[in-house]
Amino acid sequence: MMSELRKDLISGRWVIIATERSKRPDDFRPRGAVAPAPEAVGFCPFCEGNEGKTPPEVFSLRTAGTAPDSPGWTVRVVPNKFPALTPGPPPPRATQGIFQSMEGRGVHEVVIENPDHALELGDLPVTHIREVLRVFQMRIRAIECDLHYQYVQIFKNKGKEAGASLSHPHSQIVATPIIPKRVKEEIYGADRLFRVFKECAFCRILRDEEAAGTRIIAKNGHFTAFAPYASRFPFEMTVYPKRHSAFFTDVREDELLTLAETLKHVLTRLKETVNDPPFNMVLHQAPNPALSLKGWPDIHLKSHWHLEIIPILTKVAGFEWGTGFYINPIPPETGAQFLRQP
Amino acid sequence: MKKKILLVEDERALCLLYEEELSKEGYDITAVTDAEAALAKLGEITFDLIITDIRMPGKNGIELITQIMGLRKDIPIIINSAYQSYKEDFMTWAADAYVVKSSSLDELKARIKQLLGE
Repeated sequence: MMSELRKDLISGRWVIIATERSKRPDDFRPRGAVAPAPEAVGFCPFCEGNEGKTPPEVFSLRTAGTAPDSPGWTVRVVPNKFPALTPGPPPPRATQGIFQSMEGRGVHEVVIENPDHALELGDLPVTHIREVLRVFQMRIRAIECDLHYQYVQIFKNKGKEAGASLSHPHSQIVATPIIPKRVKEEIYGADRLFRVFKECAFCRILRDEEAAGTRIIAKNGHFTAFAPYASRFPFEMTVYPKRHSAFFTDVREDELLTLAETLKHVLTRLKETVNDPPFNMVLHQAPNPALSLKGWPDIHLKSHWHLEIIPILTKVAGFEWGTGFYINPIPPETGAQFLRQP
Repeated sequence: MKKKILLVEDERALCLLYEEELSKEGYDITAVTDAEAALAKLGEITFDLIITDIRMPGKNGIELITQIMGLRKDIPIIINSAYQSYKEDFMTWAADAYVVKSSSLDELKARIKQLLGE
């Protein structure tokens, strides 16, 4: 069967769905099909009891009466000990001939999702996952008060192949003094499509995905998880809120709980389907509202926050780097079907 | 009494330089060239501070730090590596400071003083 080229509506990116080399989930399971055990806990700076080895916490959810930087926490946020970006107002950009540079100002924090080294985000009770999500909201709000930070990126690297250097479950927050290129591309794409559809492009995609149903993985009253039409990677997933909103901080309390339920479900299904693969989870949202609403007064109508989960099962290689095309050996419809099956 | 520093550095020329420079500052330096020797010395002597390289033959500096943490967590540790990139590894957080190797030892000396409360 011939492969198929598919276009991602928002980014305009093309993907090759290589159906002739279509694989099954078993093809991605490591031989022996045994999930890798978490690394032996010799010493881990994120484990309870080792709080002294991280910089002082900036925030934590902890048992009443316990002191900061001591045991008794459930979610803990610490600044990066050796940060790539340091807080403070960014000075004007410098130029060296035709090249531009600026001081590395920004925020880099680590969200330690739970004190137990062996419990991944998807293994936690739904109410604990909700707490982690609530902490994300709180940190975004706190960081965005400083108008030097134009964009707050929340992401999770799970597993070495996904970029994690420590197996203790954690997410990261990086705030940058500029709006990253990929975020701008998404805004421009959504803006262009808004004019075509006369509505938010993400809302339209969600409606069409739900109508088609073939790529839906899970849904509840507030959220839908599906495999994007032009998925770049096998078992790629995205989670859209049904209620239109550009900013993650707008998610309501009742919605946080259903988001936690959705996340737990899809992460568990991913773990069961492809044997606990490494993955990246990335939050997409509009830039700092205090700034972006000035530059793009209607951004709240066009941008639509969502989560992207990318299992690391294939390698990005020369063709992808050279062309921006991705080759996906599993059609998203097939991936969604496997992820849906209990 | 002189403060005791354990230096773990596989390049002998650097060991000699550090020993000379840090001795001048009034420290008692014990230099070893690999992690196993460092662990053996830790069993014999009570050090006030440890300076370790990361890339070394045998066990690397991060594995060494992990083992030291299993023994005692209260000795300040400075990572002294030629590679800035290792800072991105959260395991380096077990150390108290990260100083990139440079021709000047000023930053290293300042961090030693700070960690020893001098």
